[in-house]
Amino acid sequence: MNDNPDPELEALFAAARAEMPDTSRVEYALETRLTARLRAEQGESVFAWAWRLCPFFAALALAVAWWSHSTQGAEVYSRIAAEAAPSSEELLAYLTGDR
Amino acid sequence: MSSLALSWTALPLPRADAKTPQMADVSPPTDEELVAAARDGDEVAFSELVTRHKRRVLATAARFARDDHQMDDLAQEVFLRVFRNLGKFRAEAPFGHWLARITVSACYDFLRKERKVREQVSLDASVLELRDGRIEEAVAAGRARELVQWGLGRLTPEEQLILTLAELEERPMREIAELTGWSEANVKVRAFRARQNLKRILENSHER
Repeated sequence: MNDNPDPELEALFAAARAEMPDTSRVEYALETRLTARLRAEQGESVFAWAWRLCPFFAALALAVAWWSHSTQGAEVYSRIAAEAAPSSEELLAYLTGDR
Repeated sequence: MSSLALSWTALPLPRADAKTPQMADVSPPTDEELVAAARDGDEVAFSELVTRHKRRVLATAARFARDDHQMDDLAQEVFLRVFRNLGKFRAEAPFGHWLARITVSACYDFLRKERKVREQVSLDASVLELRDGRIEEAVAAGRARELVQWGLGRLTPEEQLILTLAELEERPMREIAELTGWSEANVKVRAFRARQNLKRILENSHER
């Protein structure tokens, strides 16, 4: 494994290997901390998606409002014309530009 | 030892035909079964996976981290990556191999991030005392790990990763190549240079 054995370095590595770090404190309840973090991340991701979709919904609401307003105006105008047409030929001629 | 053996042999052995149906069904699920369950959203299955493998992940993380807080962060990062990539696990190799690759990848990213922090904040003052000691003295004083960590911290992340895996974890070059995705020849060359650089750093620090 070692292409350039250096006794001093080897002794240092061997001694460092022998010093096994204590992981028991971190092992304790790692699953609980991890599950909590996963849940928090998933919650955050839903929230982040909701924020990302905000402009889309705002644009959609504006489009619907504009469409609703424009169709409502046209509808009112056509209703007035339809009601007036059979009763008054004079008004119909005025509206259609014949007079 | 002998008393233990005696007491063990004194225990009544269960008869083969005495197995109840419940006992036969209690075989623990394999890692692959747990992965499949976790992929379907089973949190308990994922927790079981973590319980089974956390000691191995922490043993590797401890070689790179400077304290418990970093070790915890690193271990959590490993398992978060596992969770996010459960769909990519194909079970062609054992789960342990896949986990080891993710662990090494997370440790490498951690080293690169640490390198950036180290460039901004000098940590030399905190280990001034160590630098004055000889290698043999550090070994004799039981501070070999500190000295190795100090020296490794002055190498590139690639060199740190390879030396840690090769010298502290005693992994063969072929395995390091598989874990890192680098070629075996590349790993050997980098390990050779890393040892030389570490030796030079330790000698220079002593001569100052």
